[in-house]
Amino acid sequence: MFDKLVEVICNYVEVEPENVRPESRFMEDLGFTSFDFMSMLGELEETFDVEVDQQEVVNIRTVQEAVDYLETLVK
Amino acid sequence: MTLSTIREILVQSAEQFGQGDAVRYKAGKDQIETKSYVQLKQDSESFSLALMDLGEQGAHVAVTGMTSYPWLVTYLGTVNCGCVAVPLDVSLPAEEMCELISRADVTTVVLDEIRMDVAAILRQRCPEVKHLIMMKKEESDTEALSFTQLLAEHQGSCTYQPDPDSLCTIMFTSGTTGKSKGVMLTHRNMAENATCLDMKIPARTVILSVLPIHHAYCLSMDILKGLSLGSIICINDSLIRMAKNIQLFKPEMILMVPLMIETLAKKLEDAAALPPQLVKQQVFGEQFHTICSGGAYLTGRKKNLIITKNGENVSPEELENKLGEDRLVQEILVRENEGVIEAEIFPDLEYAAKKGIEDLQAALQERINAYNRTAPAHKRVYRLKVRNTEFEKTPSKKIKRY
Repeated sequence: MFDKLVEVICNYVEVEPENVRPESRFMEDLGFTSFDFMSMLGELEETFDVEVDQQEVVNIRTVQEAVDYLETLVK
Repeated sequence: MTLSTIREILVQSAEQFGQGDAVRYKAGKDQIETKSYVQLKQDSESFSLALMDLGEQGAHVAVTGMTSYPWLVTYLGTVNCGCVAVPLDVSLPAEEMCELISRADVTTVVLDEIRMDVAAILRQRCPEVKHLIMMKKEESDTEALSFTQLLAEHQGSCTYQPDPDSLCTIMFTSGTTGKSKGVMLTHRNMAENATCLDMKIPARTVILSVLPIHHAYCLSMDILKGLSLGSIICINDSLIRMAKNIQLFKPEMILMVPLMIETLAKKLEDAAALPPQLVKQQVFGEQFHTICSGGAYLTGRKKNLIITKNGENVSPEELENKLGEDRLVQEILVRENEGVIEAEIFPDLEYAAKKGIEDLQAALQERINAYNRTAPAHKRVYRLKVRNTEFEKTPSKKIKRY
């Protein structure tokens, strides 16, 4: 899940895959804008065939939190 | 044709476009549900009858939720029976929402289930509220009424004709200059604002509504103008799915705020490696400023106007738009400070990293110098501040100026 997410993240921001860590914060560390983040969630919905909850995703700040959230959906 | 009440808009479009689609929305994954103009009118009249039956005719009715068919039915049903609608920002904290409900003298609240947190504290915080109606609830109980059940129990037509000069809607400002203020708008304000300008948009245009529904621009242009033109209004269920929804609904028109257009323009520019000005021309065409401002060419707001010492008027927005075209500038605010014009800039850090720009202050100053060489003396920027965080925004994504 983590590796797949890193792959998607690298389509949105100019960052090398090895520099994306579980504790990396989307906005502060990886340079996401809020619109980038929303668009990426749209792509993740397609990739994993899930529907994310708009109320819950606003609390996601780090890559690990996104992985944890996605894992609850994919099951 | 200019119309003076929202009811006139709805009646005219129902007569003219009848069974034609008025609203399209997602009912499930990739499944589209539609409602015709006649259905929309009938459902809103049922909601009017329900309010009258509850003894609420003339009362203030708050509505909050994501853009949805029930939201539209609630709004139209409320204002068309002589009640006053109070649309509230769905993203407000629950306490703040209750405060606005009290301040607007609301006695009936219509809520989307995503705000159960508001429902939980409403009775205690707002004892004056008599009725709570939930949009998705199946059956009414002691806690709340079911929107669906109310409609089903009140089939029939409501022929009430609101007075054009009576109060129709209270809209709260987003608080750019401090505490939100309730703006009192009459039927004539709402209906004439939506219908007075002939924007040469043909009937049956497919519109994708992406802005928050409590937003004055969205409600008056996407919804009321859209209905008056017999448009097909498609509901974007989430910004997350905007790209997908564009493919699904195939809209011919989308109204956006400048921040969204700028972000999209930058994305497209990355894809095609085109300069921003060209992207704006090619993607958004000559209408770019018209799209941003909603019809008329606006250069700035009067309250933001800078009057320089020699009496020249400078609109900060004009300078912001000009300097904001530069790829290195992500956000910019221009204002007067100690008698000179100052620009505060949050640079596009991702772009700077990509281009290997290390001294952001120097790089931005170079751009300001280049601009100053082409600008008249009173429009030159004399001071530059570089920020390392985004500006604080209002709920409508505008930079807070003060």
